[in-house]
Amino acid sequence: MATAMRRGKPALTITLFLLALFVFIPMLSAFEFSVRTPLTGGYGWEHYKWAVSEPDFLYYIIRSCWLAAVTVLITLFILVPTLTWLHLSQSPLRPLIDGLSLLPLVIPVVAFAVGAQISFPELVQNTVLELPFLYFILALPYAYRALDIGLSSIPLKTISEAGRSAGANWFRSIISVIIPVIRGAVTSTVAITFALSLGEYTLTVLLHWDTFTTWVTYVAQDNLLGAIAISMMSLVIPFVVLAFATLIIPERNTQRSK
Amino acid sequence: MTEQVMNKKGADVDPRAFPKFSLSTYLPALPFFAIFGFFFLFPIFRLIYVSFLSNDNQLTLSNFQTALQEPYRTGFLNSVKIGLFSAALAAFPGAIAAFYIESYGPSKLRRTIGAMSGVLANTGGVPLAFMFTAALGFQGQLTKILKAAGWDIYAGYFSLGSFTGLLIVYLYFQLPLMIIIFSPAILALRHEWEEAAKNLGASARQYWLRIGIPLLFPSFIASFLLLFASGFSAYATANALTVGNLPLTPLQIGGLLDGNVSASQLNLGKALGVMMILISALAVIPYLAIQRRTSRWQLR
Amino acid sequence: MSSKNLKIQNVSKKFGTVRALDDFSLTVAVGELVALLGPSGCGKTTALRIVAGLERQDSGQVFVGERDFSSVPAHKRNMGMVFQAYSLFPNLSVEENVAFGLQMRKVGKSERRVKAGNLLELVGLESQAKRFTYQLSGGQQQRVALARALAFEPEILLLDEPLSALDAQVRVNLREEIRRLQLSLGTTTLFVTHDQEEALAISDRVGVMNRGKLEQVDTPDALYNAPTSQFVASFIGTMNKIPTRLTNGAVELFGKVLKASSKEVTSSEVIALVRPEAIKVARVGVAESSHNAVVVNRSFMGASSRISCRTHSGQLIEALMTSSATGELHPGEGVHLEVTAPEILVTDA
Repeated sequence: MATAMRRGKPALTITLFLLALFVFIPMLSAFEFSVRTPLTGGYGWEHYKWAVSEPDFLYYIIRSCWLAAVTVLITLFILVPTLTWLHLSQSPLRPLIDGLSLLPLVIPVVAFAVGAQISFPELVQNTVLELPFLYFILALPYAYRALDIGLSSIPLKTISEAGRSAGANWFRSIISVIIPVIRGAVTSTVAITFALSLGEYTLTVLLHWDTFTTWVTYVAQDNLLGAIAISMMSLVIPFVVLAFATLIIPERNTQRSK
Repeated sequence: MTEQVMNKKGADVDPRAFPKFSLSTYLPALPFFAIFGFFFLFPIFRLIYVSFLSNDNQLTLSNFQTALQEPYRTGFLNSVKIGLFSAALAAFPGAIAAFYIESYGPSKLRRTIGAMSGVLANTGGVPLAFMFTAALGFQGQLTKILKAAGWDIYAGYFSLGSFTGLLIVYLYFQLPLMIIIFSPAILALRHEWEEAAKNLGASARQYWLRIGIPLLFPSFIASFLLLFASGFSAYATANALTVGNLPLTPLQIGGLLDGNVSASQLNLGKALGVMMILISALAVIPYLAIQRRTSRWQLR
Repeated sequence: MSSKNLKIQNVSKKFGTVRALDDFSLTVAVGELVALLGPSGCGKTTALRIVAGLERQDSGQVFVGERDFSSVPAHKRNMGMVFQAYSLFPNLSVEENVAFGLQMRKVGKSERRVKAGNLLELVGLESQAKRFTYQLSGGQQQRVALARALAFEPEILLLDEPLSALDAQVRVNLREEIRRLQLSLGTTTLFVTHDQEEALAISDRVGVMNRGKLEQVDTPDALYNAPTSQFVASFIGTMNKIPTRLTNGAVELFGKVLKASSKEVTSSEVIALVRPEAIKVARVGVAESSHNAVVVNRSFMGASSRISCRTHSGQLIEALMTSSATGELHPGEGVHLEVTAPEILVTDA
């Protein structure tokens, strides 16, 4: 195996190099663009400063984060108990629900938006009662799978019985016993759902809601450079944070982590 | 024992008693079904139903008839084309990149690339569009660099909002997506198989020909299908970059929804949506089927 | 193609700073089944993989017959190998798997079919010929793997812990089958395992390894009765290790003076190695003071019983006797231990 590794190194290096070019050249070019100051013909953080100081900037970030957080809560509240029950009870419903969880992948978001537009009563639209639930549907295939895999990899029956025999009712069992054990899967689920909700645009804009993503488009009409600055931030910051996080956080020991 | 309990016991034993629907077996699934049904199934069924309604709520196929004519026909063709092309352009490089990364990359590297690919794959829409406008737009830095190197990309009819331009932008999220969804297949190629093949007398070429590629092939096709669906259905990026010159189904639907484009048929958009679902399903359902089959020897 | 002999000569291999194999030498005669036995990390798998050509040694040679295989690539070595698990090709049927080696050697389709069929019959799986990996149990898969490794009549057969991933009962059956096949085909075989029962049960000779070195290679009997090092003595079977003093070639154990066979013992402080079956446990009367140990536990195993006792000096001794000879001994009873072996093996403390 060691010899194979050595042989593959040059090819790997070339691949990484090409990938890096592919990824970073547009990013850097855009970054350069965003720090141009057309009025003075030089460079500066003008657009970024403008973006951050816009009152709407903070407002919309908070709004989007709030919607994303609600989505995450809905996701966990519905999926963790349901999946726990499915795993424990060996219910015949499991294949059905497994299949249903994949359906949102089949439906293009645009089509879903059309369906949503004609389906929900006015009073529910544009409230927290609607949008997070739709985001939940969009994130469902990924969240469901992450939690499903997490629950499959633990001795669920034993743990829950241990919890119950120690006196915890179902609710407490889930919160204090099960969720901590699958915290890796829960973290992934939270991350996926949160990221998806924050970045969702299509559904949001077609149904005339206001979130950070739609606000950026709106900004672009008057201030393209400002919008670009905001876009760069929303792209680069998660990118860097994730890269950093995965480099720092040690991986759980698996067969491949050699 | 109370009378109630006795009656209940009687009912349990009495074969003539009304068959009990054991609620408790299915009750815990209720929250899921309620939410899923109301927020997903209901809109989709309603969409399908309304697509068959005319302006005065009569059942009709006219919406679909219009949907198959111009300009919507071109829209479909373009959307399918961009789905296929972006998938094809991303599938091969993505597969090769995934191969080298998963086979030869140290664990930390693999995880980092996985996470970064995740971010890039979900980079849709507006930020991506703006980023490329900044890079490859008329005033873009990259445009300037290329011009200095002797290649004026705007010399001809190129624009980011053209088919080619959009294709290039789509590549930016299609390639990482390919890496993400194809990597598990590479991981599943156990090195025991390569060693066993070698031991049995196979050269590297023979191994790849008879074992490696046949094993990777279904996953490759499946990944291609998903990439197609992704490119076909993309809305936000196209919306941001094109200015109405490139008919694409998602955009046309969007226009009808906004009311920017008034159509004589109110439910045309719904019909277009249903057709989008059909085309997307044609790709995603085989994708899911292949994934299910290949998972038999993956992730053991 | 008849089997040849295998000669591993002074092979060393380092992984980073870890010395996996240290000047390892071993000869396997034609038709012999030699097992490499040892704890994890002792180098046995590394040795096997070097023979197979899947790893390259830092120094030393591998000979098959008269030919130096050191620079021969893995796929030209004509050796059959059975891996620990998951080595069957999932996209090929059982039959196609077994025929794969023949296919690589450009054997014609119909001949391949026949030979594969023969081998599947030998392992009792001809009915599964058209099936695929995921439809077979672990034991069945390994039998197919065995058939596949033998289909092209290799000169050497290599087995890398083939039974570790299987259930206990399947393991016992399959190891007998491997031995049966190997004997009938007369293939020179090298078998790596960490399970000593396995190694001792089916091998002609066993090489006990520890930390990259070959401690002793001998027949199972010799390893059990005449271990040449403390490691081998403790590793094979159970061994009581009693610290005592060597004077004039004899040691005193439980009041009895016994001749000691000592090779390379440097000091007079030694450890006497005594097998449980060489210790006799006798009941003594309650008040008598001739008891030199107290029963801790008696495990009744049917025909024989295992009795653990604690000596006055606090050491735990294990004895193995026929159940009828011990009678019913209870924990806490005083007993008299006696060593019945004529000669005691000792090593340095």
